[in-house]
Amino acid sequence: MKRSVPFEIFRYAAILAAMAVTLVPILWMVSMAFKPIGEWSATGADLTWWPRQPTLANFQFVFGHSTNDLIVALDHTAVKPILSSLLSAVFGTVIAMSAGTAAAYGLSRFGSGQNLPLALIQLRLFPPMAVMIPVMIMWAFLNLNDTWWGLALIYGIVTLPFAFWLMKTFFDDLPREIEEAALVEGCSRLRVFTRITLPMMRAPLASAALFVFILNWSDYLIALLLTTREWVTIPVYMASLSSSMTGQLYGAKAALGLIAAVPPVIMGIAIQRHLVRGLTFGALKQ
Amino acid sequence: MSAVTATIAEDKMEARTKPATPNEGARLGFRLTLPAQILVLFISAFPLLMQLYISVTDWSPLSGIGWWNAWEMWNSFANYTDLAADTRFWSALQRTAIVMLVCVPAEFLLGLALATLFADDFPGKRIFYSILLMPMMVVPAVAGYMFFMLFQSGGPVNDILSRIVGGPVTIAWLSDPTLALIAVMVADIWQWTPLMFLILLAGLVGVPEDQMKAATLLGANAWQRFTTIVLPKMKTIIIIALAIRVIENFKIFDTLYIMTGGGPGVATETISVYIYKVTTQDLIWGYVAAIALAILIVLSIVAVYAMKRMAKGREVPV
Amino acid sequence: MSAIHLKNLTKSFGDFAALKTMDLEIADGEFMALLGPSGCGKSTTMNMIAGMEEPTSGRILFGERDMAGVPMGRRGVGFVFQNYAIFTHMTVRQNLAYGPKMRGAAKAEIDRRVGAIAEMLQLSPLLDRKADRLSVNILQRVAIGRSAIMEPAIFLLDEPLSNVDAAFRAVMRTELKQLQRQFRQTMVYVTHDQLEAMTMADRIAVMDHGVLQQVGTPLEVYNNPANVFVARFIGAPGMNLLKGMPAESDRGLVVDLGPLGVTPPLPDELAPAVRAARGDVLYGFRPEQVTLAERGLSMPVSFVERIGARTIVHLGEGEGAVKAVFENDVGSSVGQIAVVAPPASSVRVFDAATGLAVKAG
Repeated sequence: MKRSVPFEIFRYAAILAAMAVTLVPILWMVSMAFKPIGEWSATGADLTWWPRQPTLANFQFVFGHSTNDLIVALDHTAVKPILSSLLSAVFGTVIAMSAGTAAAYGLSRFGSGQNLPLALIQLRLFPPMAVMIPVMIMWAFLNLNDTWWGLALIYGIVTLPFAFWLMKTFFDDLPREIEEAALVEGCSRLRVFTRITLPMMRAPLASAALFVFILNWSDYLIALLLTTREWVTIPVYMASLSSSMTGQLYGAKAALGLIAAVPPVIMGIAIQRHLVRGLTFGALKQ
Repeated sequence: MSAVTATIAEDKMEARTKPATPNEGARLGFRLTLPAQILVLFISAFPLLMQLYISVTDWSPLSGIGWWNAWEMWNSFANYTDLAADTRFWSALQRTAIVMLVCVPAEFLLGLALATLFADDFPGKRIFYSILLMPMMVVPAVAGYMFFMLFQSGGPVNDILSRIVGGPVTIAWLSDPTLALIAVMVADIWQWTPLMFLILLAGLVGVPEDQMKAATLLGANAWQRFTTIVLPKMKTIIIIALAIRVIENFKIFDTLYIMTGGGPGVATETISVYIYKVTTQDLIWGYVAAIALAILIVLSIVAVYAMKRMAKGREVPV
Repeated sequence: MSAIHLKNLTKSFGDFAALKTMDLEIADGEFMALLGPSGCGKSTTMNMIAGMEEPTSGRILFGERDMAGVPMGRRGVGFVFQNYAIFTHMTVRQNLAYGPKMRGAAKAEIDRRVGAIAEMLQLSPLLDRKADRLSVNILQRVAIGRSAIMEPAIFLLDEPLSNVDAAFRAVMRTELKQLQRQFRQTMVYVTHDQLEAMTMADRIAVMDHGVLQQVGTPLEVYNNPANVFVARFIGAPGMNLLKGMPAESDRGLVVDLGPLGVTPPLPDELAPAVRAARGDVLYGFRPEQVTLAERGLSMPVSFVERIGARTIVHLGEGEGAVKAVFENDVGSSVGQIAVVAPPASSVRVFDAATGLAVKAG
């Protein structure tokens, strides 16, 4: 429908306002990540929106290179937290996607596991905080505390509902004719699943995996409870950074925040098309 | 974007293919769903029983005995009666409700307004869309840290305000009880309005264009079209969007905890923060288990009720 | 009720000229069909009449009133969409009441009007049904009723039968025509189906590639196509057109059909015009008017379609192919030589260069 000129002006004005609100927090952190220590904390007229003397010192600092400005010693660098975040998120995704895809196929094609859709929604409904006591006890018992594989296991379970529901709707959408043809040709059902269906589903699988990865990568609370020192993840590490000498290590934290924020934002834009489906448990398809 | 179809959880659950050899299909189906079933059981049944067991004891990780021996510390149902009288718990619950009642409607209205602006094509739409979605992809803890920086008394929020009023502004956002709560809610709204926007836009473009034109031809103005056509058609989608945000908002922790740690005092202590503190600082796990169970039970009742309501008013494609 | 005048109407979408030029007078109370293949500009024309799109240039008048800048909600047109665009989340009653309600009519008034229109369209028993599970003919009536309740001066219908089963179309056509007689409004009906246009319309405007080709009653358009496009488009199958060179003979003016080796005579009344045009012509005749004859076009049968009441015999191949339609089965079979001849009165002549019909004097 045709829109009037005043409407167009209003639209762009409103969108630009929304863009400003959206971008200011992000840009402030980006700017902070490149600010030298002297510009971190300032009041009134000294406040700088853009670094006057942009520097990579913050990034060097979190990776353990002390610089002239920052003579604080870190008891450990960001390398291991980054590794921990990566390993736990990747293997958490592997667990969620393997179990979720298999179960989604089982339900979509053979009607097995009728209880799963609801059980998994309920799993998502409860605050993680309300189930963490037994998890902490169990993880301690299984020697999984403060390990990336312990995190990966709980991540795999926590994001299983998303993996399952996403893949279920993808399988439901997939026409069965090809599979049925292969069955007629004499393939076993398992072979049809692994050799025909899964290869056809490469793109949906990739989208679902990215979606699950973002969720795992974004966790803070679970890692806060289940890791203490060795395998803390980036957000936990970031939050713990502060020093009695300099107070808040703004720049260093911002640098870490940037490192943590970039991958999911890029992946999120890459799977934009499937975001609605993922976030609504497949109830809405775009 | 093509048409949007809305289906509800229980739809389409029956398998559509009749297996050529029923046994083979059923067996494979069972094996395929087994890992997921085990994981679900692993995280629900056993922990639930453990939680139930511990919740009637005074057990704590510091008590020097294994949890399985917690019966030695049996305190009948003291944890539950304590909970009923725990003002800190109730005020945390109340605070959680306030945050939800402010954030979810705000996110909904802002998201809907934005979605309306994006309903038809205009130059730059794609790039604006991608940028506006960014907040929801930022790691929540990082978002919390962003707003922690923004709301420093020497931070950019005060800087912007001082430019507006033309004098120095040094509001101590995060150390004032009311302002801290506002700051926390602003962060939540910033991060999750995009989700509402995304879902509602998907619903909005699914409203049949011909019916909108028909309404226009019959003399409906923009507002009338919105209330008589758009809203009724989006009912299911709106319910889904609100439900998702209510559920997620109830769990609010990451951004808030990074920004204020629940403080100042208990000014921003929501239910998750409260449980976290009791778990990690007071370490009275028997009591925590009781709180957690109480919440699980209440949520389950709400969930079952909601599912029943939704199944009754089930609406299939628009 | 109102007449519609389209004056020098054009519409471009970027570089694409959807409507190159359009001048059309639609009389008050007339049923006008806009007929043409998809992409011919018929829907664009109608959308402009409805006000859904602005013309690039030219004017649209309803009676004396210029419609430029009048928004679609205020034009007083009823519009029936291809898919009917029924509000599926409402009942039939709510659908019918929608227009008056939006304009703030009183409750009693709305009830009265809904009752009246439902009575007329035989929708009374269905008023409280939800509109998402109705059969197409009911949907069509609801769509018409929903517009008719506003008492529009003009009714626009956008291919309302294209989603309907072939078997059901005849029923729907009859119903539509009856409704039009009842309402007596000016109706503009867009379709690509000539049968619909021929059976329902008072006049047909044939369009192609954004250009109006011919306006006339169904029989005029059928009998005297204005150009080669209309000749081929109207009729099923379309008119046979054979390329030939006019030649003088002792029988008067004839046309030399080249490889077919015959020189049938041209109608006398057309002779002066053909002579004046000097050039190749297209010798046209309707397949239905062909008869088997002793002398005439003798051609091999290439294909025979027997479709019950009629038999279509395909003769020859390529440019010189001819189709003949017979009411009864004829004994022809593939490979046979058939001799067919059109009666002199049915012959139409077109200028091969311009494609326009050659008219007498």
